[in-house]
Amino acid sequence: MKQFNYVIKDKIGIHARPAGLLTKKAKEFESEVTIECSGKSTSATRLMSVMSMGIKCGDSVTVTVCGADEEKAASELEDFFKNNL
Amino acid sequence: MKDKIFGVLQRVGRSFMLPIALLPVAGLLLGIGSSFTNPTTIETYRLGKIIHEGGLLYTILDIMSKTGSAVFDNLALLFAMGVAIGMAKKEKEVAALSGAIAYLIMNTAISALISANGGVEAMAANSTASVLGITTLQMGVFGGIIVGLGVAALHNRFYRIQLPQVISFFGGTRFVPIISAVTYLAVGIAMFYVWPIVQLGISKLGILVLNSGYIGTWIYGIIERALIPFGLHHVFYMPFWQTELGGSALIDGVLVQGAQNIFFAELASKSTEVFSVSATRFMSGKFPFMIFGLPAAAYAIYKTARPEKRKAVGGLLLSAALTSMLTGITEPLEFTFLFVAPFMYGVHCILAGLSYMLMHIFNVGVGMTFSGGLIDLTLFGILQGNAKTHWIWIVITGIVYAFIYFFVFYFMITKLNLKTPGREADAADPKLYRRSDLEKAKASQGESSTDVVSAYILRGLGGKDNLTDLDCCATRLRITVKDPSLVSDPLLKESGASGVIHKGNGVQVIYGPQVSVIKSNLEDFLESPLSDSPEALTDKEPPASPKPAKKSGKSTKILLGAHMNGTIVPLENVEDDVFSQKILGSGAAIEPADGNLYAPCDGTIHSVFDTCHAVNMTSDDGAEILLHIGIDTVKLGGKHFKAHVSGGQKVKKGDLLITFDPEAIRADGYKTTTPLIICNTDDYKNIAVTAKGSAVSAGNEFMEING
Repeated sequence: MKQFNYVIKDKIGIHARPAGLLTKKAKEFESEVTIECSGKSTSATRLMSVMSMGIKCGDSVTVTVCGADEEKAASELEDFFKNNL
Repeated sequence: MKDKIFGVLQRVGRSFMLPIALLPVAGLLLGIGSSFTNPTTIETYRLGKIIHEGGLLYTILDIMSKTGSAVFDNLALLFAMGVAIGMAKKEKEVAALSGAIAYLIMNTAISALISANGGVEAMAANSTASVLGITTLQMGVFGGIIVGLGVAALHNRFYRIQLPQVISFFGGTRFVPIISAVTYLAVGIAMFYVWPIVQLGISKLGILVLNSGYIGTWIYGIIERALIPFGLHHVFYMPFWQTELGGSALIDGVLVQGAQNIFFAELASKSTEVFSVSATRFMSGKFPFMIFGLPAAAYAIYKTARPEKRKAVGGLLLSAALTSMLTGITEPLEFTFLFVAPFMYGVHCILAGLSYMLMHIFNVGVGMTFSGGLIDLTLFGILQGNAKTHWIWIVITGIVYAFIYFFVFYFMITKLNLKTPGREADAADPKLYRRSDLEKAKASQGESSTDVVSAYILRGLGGKDNLTDLDCCATRLRITVKDPSLVSDPLLKESGASGVIHKGNGVQVIYGPQVSVIKSNLEDFLESPLSDSPEALTDKEPPASPKPAKKSGKSTKILLGAHMNGTIVPLENVEDDVFSQKILGSGAAIEPADGNLYAPCDGTIHSVFDTCHAVNMTSDDGAEILLHIGIDTVKLGGKHFKAHVSGGQKVKKGDLLITFDPEAIRADGYKTTTPLIICNTDDYKNIAVTAKGSAVSAGNEFMEING
């Protein structure tokens, strides 16, 4: 299991567009990707759930990656967060 | 009340079985090893040539003796953990850990106080011991048992404790070792002051015994047996064996004090004609009941066990009986009935005491290295000759004792229906619960809210029979199910879950840090009869299962109406990559003619964006729909939008969801094209626009989803 924290920098938070990109990215991996924020948590591959979390700028999210390709997935996802959010 | 005490005793008895199962093996190792490494034995039988220090045989015997005593020396720790495991209702491994910690803490606290008060020299003789390298009070198995019972009580009380959010990490099972450590620190301090008083009383008893002849010998025997469970027998008999309390004698011109010392001095002396019974009266009594009596009692326990259980208990009883018979180590056998039938143990004490007295009366002079098994009887009785020892009386008395023990035990077990091994109500037996039991359980538990939560979880997971494994990590329940299609996310959400993750047969339900409490509650619930019909507690009908067709295996067809009045725009033509490249999923957009967004079907609103420009909903058929008004309109921060629904709300097709001002949005520089996206596109085979022409009215045929 790999885990990292990230504080959202994007002013408008994880709305539809970034959520879509995130789920697309998360689906690339075999590992299970979970995103947790302020007590709520969901699979990062479920677009509607990710959108519904209403993650905003300044929120700290915890991303947990669990599975065969977790090393790769965690580092790519961390880059994704840094570049897009 | 009586039933309750009985039930507790039965649990205690059963909890003893784990460490006890180890004792026969350890007993044989210790018995054989120590008998043949005893210098007196070696010297008496001139074994010095084959058994000598440094020699192979001696080393092997020494290893046997030392490994065997490792178990007996640490018996208290085994009991501290074993009793805690046996008495803990749930999460037994935590109780075991806590038992070990509490035991160490208690002894360390005592040890610190001993040093502070002048060290071992300042304490009464034989009152201290070294336990796991800690110099502490000699409390024997009793020390372990009070730790085991106390820790189990703390565990059962606190293993589900919920602490405030800030320190919630220390809640639940993690709290148990903490509270146990703190409690037993205090118990250790208390014991330092209380226990020496108990020890003093016992040594006073010794003096009484010495002054009362045959009766005194009888009382000595009773007390010695009765103290075994408390580990105090050493405090009691050691002074007799090793000090002037057990008598003094002048042997070959040397003054020898203590019963055992006298016997071995006589054994070594060539001038001994008859062994002094005044010394051996504190020892010989063990032989009849250890070699004959207790094994017969074991046979009675075996005979009274339920036939289907006999084979299982037979092994334990046979090895325990053999251990008692050969080595004179009786704990394995005595502990099998001590706690389930304390009264029977009382009878055993009286008979054992009588055995001491009879040996005294019959002038039997057989001593022992440390206990009364066949090995010691042979070495110090039979081989010394009947003239010196009168050992034949041991056999005669023993045979009578075998019959007495067998019939007394058989009679008591059957008449009093004692739950000796093989007779206990089997917890694993499938007990049939009647409706009345269920009602009773419901009434007594008052349908506590924790049960309702558990009931929802259980229903959400497809019922009791669908579960194969249940575990939890930091924030989520991890469950393995037989049939993943029976899992219902809405029901699980109803139980308070913030998310559900599916992976093959694995399901993860996310609750947050309090999940360990939820898991414990669920486990309790699973064991109660209520769990057979969780519907009884969840009166609310679950939201219609939104299982997409693909997962349930049936083909489905979902029809969506237009979500607004306007002109259809194929998704490919929407001026935003995320939509046009279908990154969010398949769907279609409408260029609105007015400022109203309607529900395209019946369903539940999942969430409305804070900025009110988009809404998520789940159709009753399971399609996850995103309605997004305009492009990049998130940047408007809610300006020009007004939501008429909120998350969790049920809606009908055509209900007004959001109103907005298309003119103002366009004036601010944003497009108003409104895509309808199926977020779980992957779950379906085909999603197609079915509206004819390009102009649509809200609610009219718009899109078809096929799974």
